[in-house]
Amino acid sequence: MPPRTFRHSALVAGLLACLLGCVSAGQSTAPATPSSAVVPAAQPAPSASPASLPNRPDSLKFIVFGDFGTGGRPQYELGIQMAALHERFPFQMAALVGDNLYGSQRPQDFKTKFELPYKPLLDAGVKFYASLGNHDAREQRYYKLFNMDGKLYYSFKAPRQDVRFIALETTYTTPEQIKWLEDELQGAKEEWKIVYFHHPLYSSGGTHGSDVTLREALEPLFVKYGVSVVFSGHDHIYERMKPQKGVQYFVTGSGGQLRAGDSRRGEPFSAHIVDNVQVFLAAEIFGDEMVFNAISRTGRVVDSGVIARRQGS
Amino acid sequence: MTRHDLSRWVFSRWAFGTVCCALAAITAAAQSHTGTKPPDKGAATAAAQAKENRDAPELTEFKKRVEEYAALHRKLEATLPKLPNEATPEQIDRNQRALATLVASSRPNAKLGSVFTPPAPTYVRALLTRLFASSNKRQLRETIQDENPGPVKLTVNGRYPDQVPLTTMPPEVLEALPRLPEELEYRFVGDALILLDPHAHIVIDYLPAALPQ
Repeated sequence: MPPRTFRHSALVAGLLACLLGCVSAGQSTAPATPSSAVVPAAQPAPSASPASLPNRPDSLKFIVFGDFGTGGRPQYELGIQMAALHERFPFQMAALVGDNLYGSQRPQDFKTKFELPYKPLLDAGVKFYASLGNHDAREQRYYKLFNMDGKLYYSFKAPRQDVRFIALETTYTTPEQIKWLEDELQGAKEEWKIVYFHHPLYSSGGTHGSDVTLREALEPLFVKYGVSVVFSGHDHIYERMKPQKGVQYFVTGSGGQLRAGDSRRGEPFSAHIVDNVQVFLAAEIFGDEMVFNAISRTGRVVDSGVIARRQGS
Repeated sequence: MTRHDLSRWVFSRWAFGTVCCALAAITAAAQSHTGTKPPDKGAATAAAQAKENRDAPELTEFKKRVEEYAALHRKLEATLPKLPNEATPEQIDRNQRALATLVASSRPNAKLGSVFTPPAPTYVRALLTRLFASSNKRQLRETIQDENPGPVKLTVNGRYPDQVPLTTMPPEVLEALPRLPEELEYRFVGDALILLDPHAHIVIDYLPAALPQ
């Protein structure tokens, strides 16, 4: 557990950041205006007029982030931003793209690196669905609050809208897992198929970058079976790709960790990079559209847009 | 072409064919004798090649020991309270460390090579060398070396170091290596290929110098 003074300072810093972020014109995290403000799919949002989250009563609302379990101040501050958003935009779930706990993974680490930073969300009933990264012990799959049901890879139907999420384990991609994935995608009847895992198939991250070996194994299945969106982490940046073969990819690996400036600019697949601040992604699905906001540790919307569901999937 | 020329042409073709067949037979016999080189891919599919590699007689004893370990693991795990799918961190930690203690006390004489018994080490190294000699060697290495901690002191029956991230095992490598039961995983640490018990979080055995240079 962090020292009491640290927790207080983190709280104060986070609240200040929230206030500053919320009063910045056109940068509010509050999902206010209706969907008329949305921007075309996969286009960088003009910074002064981000696509607002419509905040419809019957939509699926969720957040995505990864590489967070440090127990450090930035993780707590981003957690405060998530809680602030949740008050206005009551997301039902969170998809975790791995590296949930760094270093020691004793019982107290689960508290300081997960339960405390996200306590307001856990108390509000937000369900977290984890995938595992290369820093995660395999036994995290049994941890109640990660909702993995003892499985290294699994899928579930979202609580609202016609959406299936599939969580993979990409540090150990066995032939059995790939076969399972194909069966799962083939059998999924939902209109939206969203897959998330740790290692990015596309990334401008300077430390890791695209995992081309994994891409060769997974991308053909995503294309063939109509996956609309893929979330990953591993590189400690936020990045939105241009759609690749019709699939929208994100890197959301700065949920606590950050490698400032650690990105290669000019990759042909890249659409937008944020590598100077921790970020999480908030998204809303209603019908055939997914609206997203990438929100920073200081409460600013640093990227936004609208993604259309892949047709015929 | 005269009859003489025709005879010479036929003879030369026959002689050439005979020499080729003899060379092929000698090569095959040599490979069979050494028993350490995975068969060449040739026209076979990658999947068929992988299956052939996994079914090689050189791996029979290794696979037997893997199964023996898995059976021991299951037997020991059955003596512990069953870990629920919605466990607390305390339950997870307690279960993991209890299993590690039981495993270590049940195989006190385990040492390097207890599972990777000859001729499996030579065969697996050759298999990996052959795999990495393929066109995507650089990609495979990049994936495995990503956050590979480099040389780490490993101990059979010892806990996998908490601060060391797990290396990523590319699908092609897992496809090529002998299948493992759910109780074990392959990982690279430095250039060693380890057998990790992910439930007990301990190293069961390892094969030094397995990652091709």
